Amino acid sequence: MGLRLVRIDDRLIHGQVVAVWLRALGAERIVIVDDATARDEFLREVLTLAAPQGVPVEVCDVASGAARCIELAGTPEPVIVLARSPRTVLALRQAGVPIEVVDLGGMGAGPGRRRLHKTISVSPDELRELRELEQLGTRVEIQIVVDDRPIPFQSLDSGN
Amino acid sequence: MNRKVAAAGAGSIAVLLLAAAMPGAVLGAGSGDAAGAAGTQQIAVSAWQAALIAIGYYLANSPWLFGLAFFTLYRPLVAGFFVGLILGDPAQGTLIGAAINVPYLGFISAGGTLPADAGFAGWVGTTVALASGFDPAKAVTIAFGLGLLGTIIFYGRMAVDSVFAHWADARAEKADIAGVALMNWLPGQLLLFVISFVPVFLFALNGPGAVQDALNRLPLWTVNGLVIAGGILPAIGIALNMRFIFRGSAIPYFFIGFILMTATHGSMSLVVVAALGLALAYLHLTFVRTPVEPKSEAAVAAVPRTDPSTVAGATPRIRLTRRDLIHSWALWTFFAHANYNYERLQGTGFAHAMTPIIRRLYTTEDEIRAALKRHLVFFNTEPNFGNVVHGTVIAMEEQRANGAAIDDDAINSVKSGLMGPMAGIGDTLSQSTITPILLALGIGIAGGTASGTAVPTLSGATGNPLGAIIYMVLVSIVIVTIGYTAWMQGYARGRSFVTEILRSGTIDRVLVGAGVLGNMVLGALAANFVVVNLAPTVNIAGAQMNLQAAIIDPLFPGALALGLVVMTWYLLRRRVSPLALLAVYLVFSILAAYPFFGPGQANSSDYSYGACTSSLLHQYTPCGAPPAPSAQP
Repeated sequence: MGLRLVRIDDRLIHGQVVAVWLRALGAERIVIVDDATARDEFLREVLTLAAPQGVPVEVCDVASGAARCIELAGTPEPVIVLARSPRTVLALRQAGVPIEVVDLGGMGAGPGRRRLHKTISVSPDELRELRELEQLGTRVEIQIVVDDRPIPFQSLDSGN
Repeated sequence: MNRKVAAAGAGSIAVLLLAAAMPGAVLGAGSGDAAGAAGTQQIAVSAWQAALIAIGYYLANSPWLFGLAFFTLYRPLVAGFFVGLILGDPAQGTLIGAAINVPYLGFISAGGTLPADAGFAGWVGTTVALASGFDPAKAVTIAFGLGLLGTIIFYGRMAVDSVFAHWADARAEKADIAGVALMNWLPGQLLLFVISFVPVFLFALNGPGAVQDALNRLPLWTVNGLVIAGGILPAIGIALNMRFIFRGSAIPYFFIGFILMTATHGSMSLVVVAALGLALAYLHLTFVRTPVEPKSEAAVAAVPRTDPSTVAGATPRIRLTRRDLIHSWALWTFFAHANYNYERLQGTGFAHAMTPIIRRLYTTEDEIRAALKRHLVFFNTEPNFGNVVHGTVIAMEEQRANGAAIDDDAINSVKSGLMGPMAGIGDTLSQSTITPILLALGIGIAGGTASGTAVPTLSGATGNPLGAIIYMVLVSIVIVTIGYTAWMQGYARGRSFVTEILRSGTIDRVLVGAGVLGNMVLGALAANFVVVNLAPTVNIAGAQMNLQAAIIDPLFPGALALGLVVMTWYLLRRRVSPLALLAVYLVFSILAAYPFFGPGQANSSDYSYGACTSSLLHQYTPCGAPPAPSAQP
């Protein structure tokens, strides 16, 4: 199983990802799927350069990211997939990427967003998309860092 | 929603207060004469000493020490030194703090997570241990439990502080610059003072008596088990840190460090090990490491030279002075985490830091209101290296004030786009490389003996306060230098500084070199702090010989400890939870002290040194070996 972690995190690469998850999983590649980031030359370069030596970072838009993830899922190489929003992960899932678990790692608060747990907040749209992911057989869990116990999204989703 | 979270926070704090007050009320009465059973010296903690200790713990979490508290007072090594000063034995305090710190070597707090409260473990743990006359080994076990309890304070504060972010919003709506700044520190710090001072004060006052009393009620072998655990739990801390640096071609250096230390029976100075590590790091960078390919050559050409964050308007009307920049940097350095909360993390801290900039650049109420609101949103980065973000944003604000076409979106996208990657690099540098290496060095100096004679560190040799002091000075210099440089370079050169420093490979070289040094020091530390002593004896040529002293140690000293550390690292890599490991190791340690093989020594009241026990493991030294010279002062 190549996709060791599929994570929704609005900061994409940061301390929890690089200093904690990457090392703990022994991942060797990071794939970032995000349309806006893929269009931004500067951010693309910063993200590519921000990962530790020897860990290649690929920044894809959703269309090319789906194909890339399907390809990598079939290799033994341990990969971390990062996305900014549930919509992206849902699109990947619908495009046939085998995602067993999606991890909610960082979704900031803001107007119109409801807090689920600590640093995880969702908008009504995102809530719907996460539920749809669960219906497609992808487990949705909150696990901010690797040493946390994963919390199933279902246990926090009160259904309104 | 906020009210609910705040209530949950307040509830958890109430639980903690109750836990702190209970032992005093329920158990405090009975301690008296029984406390002397272990024959160890004790210090009574007076109310003012308890108050000083509680203030110390508050300061460790506060912004008042130039943002350095998290790197200094919060670490058990440093906390131990100060608790020792307060209670009148800085040497022993430092030694205990150093031992308590070892399980926290892999400690990282990123993005509002806290695996355990190392500060609480350090301040309260050292107090309990010092007041009760415990040796470092027993202190390690007790402090680890306290560290888990202490997280309640952090999570309570993270929840309640979200409310104060909304208070800051209200001030921003009125274009009240000073009000936003005030809301970032005053309510959060009042809350923090109460919820950190009160429990620590109560624990410091009542904890020692309660813990001694509880220990006196336990059968002796379980207390021996706690001491054995004190030698085993450090393996978890060391292995947690190994997850970050025990990789690839740096792995052998860990074993070199370990063997250097065991081969010299623990007498080699950690400073010497570190010096050797530095030399080897240089050689490694020069000869071993595969040359770095310059990263993404294609992208270099692609980045437009006309970087909007570095192109100033034609004739700037308003210019920021150097003083404004330094003021802003100082505010950030002090108050980045003054109102740390789940909703915005460092959001209000960012706005607070921007207040001198906003004051200089904007004059109309509308401009000020917009700028305050712009910078009150969710923000989180590593607060030192991550300062390139602030520097870059300040430069953009200056150009905007001078009429450049920079809208909110442009500023927000730089903030939100850069804060993550810069935190990734910053946390790797500061939290998982620089701090643990310097801590390991400080712990090594603290735990080494002043006289330089070989004494197993866990047996309670005299500690060296220099370990804590040297660590504090070094870590402060390094962290402040990184923070200041990143801030000023970010301002002066904007986004091109970011790509330039990343492209140059400097950070990679620092990390690889630090990995070599870190492995050496960590290996040496493992040799001193991880203790596994088999108790059973075997009959060799008619004489009862200890299995370990007679057979294992002559072959490979410390083989069992090394095996334990590597096994722990492997289990953590296989994603076994550290808390589960902690529970298993603790239970195992206590069971291993049970006198399975007959009554023997295990029921004796002198559990410090001496003949072989009839249990599986033995504390301090392999039994049958001569006891370490003069353990307790």
